Amino acid sequence: MEFLLGVLFPYTACVVFVSGTILRIAGWLKTPVPFHLTLFPAPNGAMDRIATIASDFFLCRTLFREDKALWLRVWLFHLSLALIIAGHAAGIFFLRNQFVLIGLNPDASQSLSKLLGGIAGIVMVLSLGALLAGRISNPIVRKLSVPEDFCTLLLLIAIAVTGILMYLPGFHADLHAVRSYMGGLIRFRPTMLPHSPMFIVHFLLVNVLLMYFPFSRLFHSAGYFVNRAMLTEAPPVYPTVSGMTRRSPFAAGKAQTNIPPRREPADRGVR
Amino acid sequence: MKSPLHLAKKEDLRSLGVEEVDESSQKTRTLELMDEFRRFGRSLSVMLETCTRCGACAKACHSYLGTDDFHNIPAARAGLFQTIYNRYFTLSGRAFRRFSGAREFGAETLNSWVNYFYQCTTCRRCAVFCPFGIDTGEVVLAGRNILTRLGIAPHFMVNIGRNELHTGNNTGILKPAIIDSCSFLEEELRDETGLDIKIPVDKPHTDVLYVPSSSELFTNVETLMGAAKIFHYLGTDWTLSSTLLEAANYGLHFDLEVMKKHNHRMHIAAAAVGAKQVLQGECGHGWRVARMYSEGANSPVPFRLNHILPYVADRLPDMKLEKLPMRATLHDPCNYARGAGLVDQPRELMKACVEEFVEMTPNRERNFCCGGGSGLLMDEMLEIRMKLGKMKADQIKSLLPLDYVALPCASCKAQVPLLLKHYGMEEVATGGVIELIGKALVFNRQK
Repeated sequence: MEFLLGVLFPYTACVVFVSGTILRIAGWLKTPVPFHLTLFPAPNGAMDRIATIASDFFLCRTLFREDKALWLRVWLFHLSLALIIAGHAAGIFFLRNQFVLIGLNPDASQSLSKLLGGIAGIVMVLSLGALLAGRISNPIVRKLSVPEDFCTLLLLIAIAVTGILMYLPGFHADLHAVRSYMGGLIRFRPTMLPHSPMFIVHFLLVNVLLMYFPFSRLFHSAGYFVNRAMLTEAPPVYPTVSGMTRRSPFAAGKAQTNIPPRREPADRGVR
Repeated sequence: MKSPLHLAKKEDLRSLGVEEVDESSQKTRTLELMDEFRRFGRSLSVMLETCTRCGACAKACHSYLGTDDFHNIPAARAGLFQTIYNRYFTLSGRAFRRFSGAREFGAETLNSWVNYFYQCTTCRRCAVFCPFGIDTGEVVLAGRNILTRLGIAPHFMVNIGRNELHTGNNTGILKPAIIDSCSFLEEELRDETGLDIKIPVDKPHTDVLYVPSSSELFTNVETLMGAAKIFHYLGTDWTLSSTLLEAANYGLHFDLEVMKKHNHRMHIAAAAVGAKQVLQGECGHGWRVARMYSEGANSPVPFRLNHILPYVADRLPDMKLEKLPMRATLHDPCNYARGAGLVDQPRELMKACVEEFVEMTPNRERNFCCGGGSGLLMDEMLEIRMKLGKMKADQIKSLLPLDYVALPCASCKAQVPLLLKHYGMEEVATGGVIELIGKALVFNRQK
């Protein structure tokens, strides 16, 4: 049982996550874009294109412009998520001593790490709660929603809450044990799960999330870039530059247009 | 709600090479076509699989705001397609139907598509509002194409498509009638200006092929006359072509094969007169097809491709204009503003030729559609179209008193006068931008 949950399950989750993500993105990218779908005003040149997408991505600028209330919930959630992912990587690797690198003493680094992690976790739970409340209270959005949308939010909330609970004295998880367990997994020398129920629940839920990710709407994170790339493509230039490759098989077929005007009554005066 | 659309008869569709699919094989055929279209273009699958149903598109859509019908919310409209797509083409939809909002193809499916895909004008405003930039118009157009291939298409569009294929214009005008109309307009121009202004047809060895909307030969003659005056003034060596008298391309609205064929006429017509440059007239979706679709449909394009508005705006310093005494506003056609990036030049032109130019709010890429786009100009859609144009009417109303609404698009020119009448603003005149420039031009008498 411990082998199943502590070793097999996480590796399966990782394989599903990585292969599912790659396969879905590859499926999109191998499909041609037969026509320019540039949405104007469009960026000018490659650097401008990257800058436009990056600033929209990091600040959710489109949403900020169109719906400030939704933006606040969405942006806070994604920001806290980014901080938490970074915090997990750094915090587990350095055992919360990461801020020693910027000149704090180990004690201060420990406290700061806990404080920032705690704040980010609470912001995440609150913003997820607000997103859930918004989905339920707005009649239009509720009608648009499907069970998956609520389940995704509930799963994320469960992960965040179990993560925060690990801070509390009663559920306290031994970070050293977690670190050596995670290190074992990453180096393909798996050990047994640490004996902390809250950590085990948190960790298993994250694995569920990883497997759920490529097949759910969470995949909007990848769709965003593929879609924005289509919308910011530089418009075509005419006459066509020689040596241009065809955009899709659709362009290869020769159009048979040279039909002489036929003198049938149906050809005239229809409008 | 039942769509009032008049659907095309079997024989009419057959002339476009479409065989009707009988009811027993409709489901199989629809799924085959959905599979074909998801492999055809990336936009369909990416956009269907990325929407998180956040609802930000609801207040973007003139169709939803005007009709207050839930299924006209862009996400809900695309959802009519997406639920079926989910059920048959995604892992989560196949495995967990209820959970991921997947739905079986049923008796109502195609009906709902006909209903709602023809209440969207593919104006792309939802793509501006969507945090991911999802253009639900892409889903609508794929849906319309699939319906056409199943033998379900509006009579109005099929007829126009057939005219475009056979004669190169929407109305089916043949060469003798084109020449006749042009000489009539030349006479009008002579009466008006006292000058010998030509409207050449099929003139060989010309630099510029002007592709107007065919409506410029009868309802929107002022636009063609304006263009003729400007070309005369600038000394442009130009001609019309009797094989391509139509900037519009209705194929975009319901059948990509028709789009490709009509678009290809540009190559034939330009080669026939030896034109190095093709100038598109005032037609919104026509300009989007020409600018954005020509490369994907009929590459390589051997000529320069331009639009009359930037062409004239570039030459503004060479023209002497007397500002017209009017308070005028500009409606940004969706396909210019969001579809092809043509927003500055019409403004330059308007400011140069009217005394008081006022902006609509919102404008440019945030402008509302007039409700007549994407081929919805059929009579039976009038009632719905007036609802689709409600936001536009409100925009215009807030600018009253107003003398003129400039509409540099033939569909808008057909829709907005009806809107003004419906919403009690008959006194406001409408027309193109080019016709205003034509009226403001001050000719040198010795010419």
